[in-house]
Amino acid sequence: MERRLVIKQILIMAGGMALLPSCLRDAGKSSVLLKNLDVSLDQENLLAEIAETIIPKTSTPGAKELNIHLFVLKMVDDCYEPEEQQLFIKGLEALKAITQDQYRKSFMDIAVPERQKVLVGIENDKEASAELAAFYKIMKGKTIQGYLNSQYVMTNLIKWELVPGRYNGYYPVKTA
Amino acid sequence: MSNLNIDAEKAHTFDAIVIGSGISGGWAAKEFTEKGLKTLVLERGRDVQHIKDYPTTNKYTYEFEHHGEPALAIRKENPIASRCYIFREDAMHFVVKDQEHPYVQEKPFDWIRGYQVGGKSLLWARQVQRWSDLDFEGPARDDFAVDWPIRYKDIAPWYSYVEKFAGISGNKDGLPQLPDGEFLPGYPLNAVEDYFKKVMTNKYGNRHVISARCAHISKPNQIHLDQGRGQCQNRTLCQRGCPFGGYFSSNASTLPWAAKTGNLTLRPFSVVESVIYDDKKGKVTGVRVIDTNTKEVTEYFAKVIFVNAAALNTNLILLNSKSQRFPQGLGNDNGQLGKFVAFHNYSARISAEYDGMLEYTTDGRNPAGGGYLPRFRNVFKQETNFKRGYAAGFSARRMSNKDMSGVGEGLKTNLMKTDLGPWSVGSHMMGETIPKESNFVNLDPNKKDAWGVPQLNISVDYDENDVLMKKDYLEQLTEMFTEAGFTNIKQNDASQAPGLDIHEMGGARMGHDPKTSILNKWNQLHACKNVFVTDGACMTSTSTQNPSLTYMALTARAVDYAVKAMKNGELT
Repeated sequence: MERRLVIKQILIMAGGMALLPSCLRDAGKSSVLLKNLDVSLDQENLLAEIAETIIPKTSTPGAKELNIHLFVLKMVDDCYEPEEQQLFIKGLEALKAITQDQYRKSFMDIAVPERQKVLVGIENDKEASAELAAFYKIMKGKTIQGYLNSQYVMTNLIKWELVPGRYNGYYPVKTA
Repeated sequence: MSNLNIDAEKAHTFDAIVIGSGISGGWAAKEFTEKGLKTLVLERGRDVQHIKDYPTTNKYTYEFEHHGEPALAIRKENPIASRCYIFREDAMHFVVKDQEHPYVQEKPFDWIRGYQVGGKSLLWARQVQRWSDLDFEGPARDDFAVDWPIRYKDIAPWYSYVEKFAGISGNKDGLPQLPDGEFLPGYPLNAVEDYFKKVMTNKYGNRHVISARCAHISKPNQIHLDQGRGQCQNRTLCQRGCPFGGYFSSNASTLPWAAKTGNLTLRPFSVVESVIYDDKKGKVTGVRVIDTNTKEVTEYFAKVIFVNAAALNTNLILLNSKSQRFPQGLGNDNGQLGKFVAFHNYSARISAEYDGMLEYTTDGRNPAGGGYLPRFRNVFKQETNFKRGYAAGFSARRMSNKDMSGVGEGLKTNLMKTDLGPWSVGSHMMGETIPKESNFVNLDPNKKDAWGVPQLNISVDYDENDVLMKKDYLEQLTEMFTEAGFTNIKQNDASQAPGLDIHEMGGARMGHDPKTSILNKWNQLHACKNVFVTDGACMTSTSTQNPSLTYMALTARAVDYAVKAMKNGELT
């Protein structure tokens, strides 16, 4: 009994520093500990699908599997001004609304090609509302950053060398 | 009881005391201890031991909570530190936080500080160039400040001395305005930097692009291996501290060397409140130290004191060292202490693209950063409507040009493409500023820091000469870039407050005449011979070179003089 309690407390403490398994948290809340944003688990799951739509699983992992949406949340929560955070959340809600408008279904319930259409539609809409434009810009920009800087990409795909040990200023460009 | 006091005083007595463990303090420590003097080094910040205390040194981007970006709350709490390029998640633990060490800005001044063992030597940009007589004779020729009391011949052997130990990479370029030194192999210019060099030589003759000279071990000599340092591994993550000791810092080099002699006592967490002048003895006897943790005040004693607290803090300590003999601060008979502060003007940049040499790119990373343009304005005679001139950095690189439009598999494929775009080229100016009495620091009469030491008030600004010089830099570099066929040239008026250049200098300048200077040609207070200042505070003028190498050379030279003076009884 006591031992279980201690283990649970340790897990909760660890969760403050890293990602807490959602089963131990309030069921409706986001699985990451956020200081400023109030994000529900539904919203988090939606962000995961949006990130996955931006960078899908192919022969290599996509954004969802790499938890890039959680990186986006962390960045918005810690590195953006309160006004931008508000725009981000409002923009996410606006995305839900326009999806519902267009497909009579939620983003979660439409197929990948439709999901892509929704996102590209926002990207190309020069008259998108301020919150939708802000949401999309942050979401896409941080998803790409999170993906390119992810351990998976940096160690498997575009390898970054911690210790290059060399410099060549006349390195021939390989022609295809 | 009195015996106890005598014992305590004995335990607190050294041959030499060095205030500060940064780039110049580290050198003072090395020189004194090697010459057999029991030396106390006082550092106001915490200890940072080589390798052991570089917590971020081997981290990948994804291991930083925000991939390197400082969180908003931290940026808001530290508006000054946040403006410094070093202040990111990988190195912010080496930068002073605004609120912990407040100061007064009579005029905007971004004072960037590193309060830890090693000081800013952990963080510096590692660019090192010698001065020539064209620099030392500048004030006399162009009628500003006072004449430097030294010339190139006085410092040249000491440049050689410190270069051999520190490890300086560079090429012998044979330029009178930038004397050659004791170089390890230089880092090569890349294809476009080299191309720009050739265009400049052909077009102008007197405008040179050289490999930047930097304090990196491109190829170690025995003396570097003896320090436990190895070859630079081209990581260019230097600001985190280098586990290879590839670049010069007090932590990797001078301090462990000094410790090995057995003559070093290093005391971190020690703010020097003042230097103690004994009115009866007519000399300085020691320093008064506040322990930053316990706030306990302790006095330490020595025959000779080196003040190497970093330029402006050295001014603060001297100004705060008041006695009957020196009511305005130690050595300040002429009221000039804290005045004639100058810096380097880094407030303009320029960028462009180049579509040539596309058969090349770079591989690995260049710790030197690329090319360096020594000053080409007013070098041998006055030619422009402003005094002095500027040096400039120049570098070129190719980035992959990613198509980030759209979403899905197409985007994912595009993100993996490493097709290279055109060369991006860029330059930044490093202008000499003219020291003036109206650019000064003094002690705020009311505000104190957490240890009861008066806060420093800083009143330093640009002047008309700086504006004219900056205009000329942008015009000339635009012309030079155009000449080289660079396109999409963008002038960037990177206006910034003084201080962000982190090249603040002066306040206790060297000179011949005690009426118009604070230090003599040996960096010794004119009015108090057992106190020396060999950090940036001593600089009579700034020229355009990155200053640290000159501080190192002046320090080694001054310690040599001080120890000889102690031996022959001139300093007791």
